Amino acid sequence: MGKISAPRNNREFVEACVKSGDAVRIKQEVDWDNEAGAIVRRCCELGEAAPFMESIKDYPGFSYFGAPLSTYRRMAIALGMDPASTLPQIGAEYLKRTNSEPIAPVIVDRRDAPCKENILLGDDVDLCKLPVPLVHDGDGGRYVGTWHGVITKHPVRGDVNWGMYRQMMWDGRTMSGAVFPFSDLGKTLTDYYLPRGEGCPFATAIGLSPLAAMAACAPSPIPEPELCGMLSGEAVRLVKCETNDLEVPADAEIIIEGMILPDYKVEEGPFGEYTGYRTSPRDFRVTFRVDAITYRNNATMTISNMGVPQDEGQLLRSFSLGLELEKLLKSQGIPVTGVYMHPRSTHHMMIVGVKPTYAGIAMQIAQLAFGSKLGPWFHMVMVVDDQTDIFNWDEVYHAFCTRCNPERGIHVFKNTTGTALYPHATPHDRKYSIGSQVLFDCLWPVDWDKTNDVPTLVSFKNVYPKNIQEKVLNSWADYGFRGAKK
Amino acid sequence: MANKWEVFVMDLAELAEGKELELTIRTLNDGLHKYTYQRAKVEVSSKLDQFADSLQVRLGRGQLSDRKFSIRVIERVERLPERYR
Ligand SMILES: Cc1cc2nc3c(=O)[nH]c(=O)nc-3n(C[C@H](O)[C@H](O)[C@H](O)COP(=O)(O)O)c2cc1C
Repeated sequence: MGKISAPRNNREFVEACVKSGDAVRIKQEVDWDNEAGAIVRRCCELGEAAPFMESIKDYPGFSYFGAPLSTYRRMAIALGMDPASTLPQIGAEYLKRTNSEPIAPVIVDRRDAPCKENILLGDDVDLCKLPVPLVHDGDGGRYVGTWHGVITKHPVRGDVNWGMYRQMMWDGRTMSGAVFPFSDLGKTLTDYYLPRGEGCPFATAIGLSPLAAMAACAPSPIPEPELCGMLSGEAVRLVKCETNDLEVPADAEIIIEGMILPDYKVEEGPFGEYTGYRTSPRDFRVTFRVDAITYRNNATMTISNMGVPQDEGQLLRSFSLGLELEKLLKSQGIPVTGVYMHPRSTHHMMIVGVKPTYAGIAMQIAQLAFGSKLGPWFHMVMVVDDQTDIFNWDEVYHAFCTRCNPERGIHVFKNTTGTALYPHATPHDRKYSIGSQVLFDCLWPVDWDKTNDVPTLVSFKNVYPKNIQEKVLNSWADYGFRGAKK
Repeated sequence: MANKWEVFVMDLAELAEGKELELTIRTLNDGLHKYTYQRAKVEVSSKLDQFADSLQVRLGRGQLSDRKFSIRVIERVERLPERYR
């Protein structure tokens, strides 16, 4: 694999984005109370450059970086690629890197770890010393973790998990978060810590390198420190925590250390979510007690503002969920031609292209997709044939509206795993994370006679001889048309 | 100076008047600690001049209610077990 030169930390990433016009420096003072959130939200809705806010009311020395990965251009920059790279090119690069050899992290001395430049311990610990933003008006609290990694370790297996699980500031020493029971951390808690009544050490890292953040929200089975190494082509630098045995990215902007309490819960939410709504109810959720805060000089807090499309919750998760499903289906020998989630589906619909070589292939795809670890995050799988361009919604929508038979093509899966965040779920199903899912099979049935029963697609590309197509395309302007040559 | 508080409820009936309630309230006072929570024994009244502090209310999905209250914080309640303090 050629040398990758991806930004190694958040600062290099901000610089690269400013240089390419994909971030703007905002010099005027911005209020942490709603204003910063409103700026980030509007950037997401307009597909704007990412805001780097250099002056925050009440918090001299701190800055914000909002909407870090809410465009494919910034995703390409994060991967060290040309910002103009297309989505299929970015996807191919992600698949190449995540199929390479894992790269183990290295431990560095604390003197080489910028995240140790300032250390708050004991009575000095107060989350209010950090510029924790009120992201949306009406949220249940100021959110410390919106673009970050919660770092934990399984005490028996020893495997390390970095997961992006939102964290709300309840008071200066307490955070609460939505850690779903089917997530890696959720399983570690229910499998080990909760039954024993033991606290689970955690560290929250904010202002990660963009690829570390990408790893923290990727649904990959590879442990995130190694995954981050594979994505960036070099070992991640880790340093030991001050108050527990965990290791955290040495170049992160802010680290919060503490313990997840097994027998004490405070309220969390409501919060603006990736679906574009505030859906999940306020509830007593996983509670994090803070023991230490460390941060770089002039630390930058990263902010993702989730709401209507499109933000990184939709863009990045659609990207990685789709590609991880592609890997899974290919590992089972299914002749898929590609998998794509449109970010505007708020990562709710998987579009799978496949060569329809045998009966039941769409059902096999849906069963694998819904039955996998990825399954709770989407509730629709649409399977189209290899002639349909999965990246072209016009083609996919046409295939869906014309080929999906209401009786034979729509299959509902009941009593599956859901989340409290699904806007269409009943209040009861949200409370217990009960899901339901659906397959839209848009393939021509294999038992239809290919010559006489399968309709012919009537398109310019499909019905005219090649020589006529070429003649028409080449003469298009001469005919007098001024539009794009398609 | 009078304090400003906020509470989240699913139903306004949770804010019964004329008796002591235990609520999770957050401060709306300006400053670094704005929006931090505490658990407290309180009394609320729809008469805005009944108590010195004010209370505004948000419903289940963060909608601001147009009903306003005054509030008296009787005492803080610490639910966090001693061993974690
Ligand atoms: C901005 C953002 C916020 C997220 N918030 C949460 C969350 O609060 N709870 C959760 O379980 N997953 C959340 N996710 C999804 C997880 O990061 C994702 O499932 C990740 O793979 C970690 O899950 P795992 O522990 O199952 O591997 C979020 C993702 C993004 C991009």
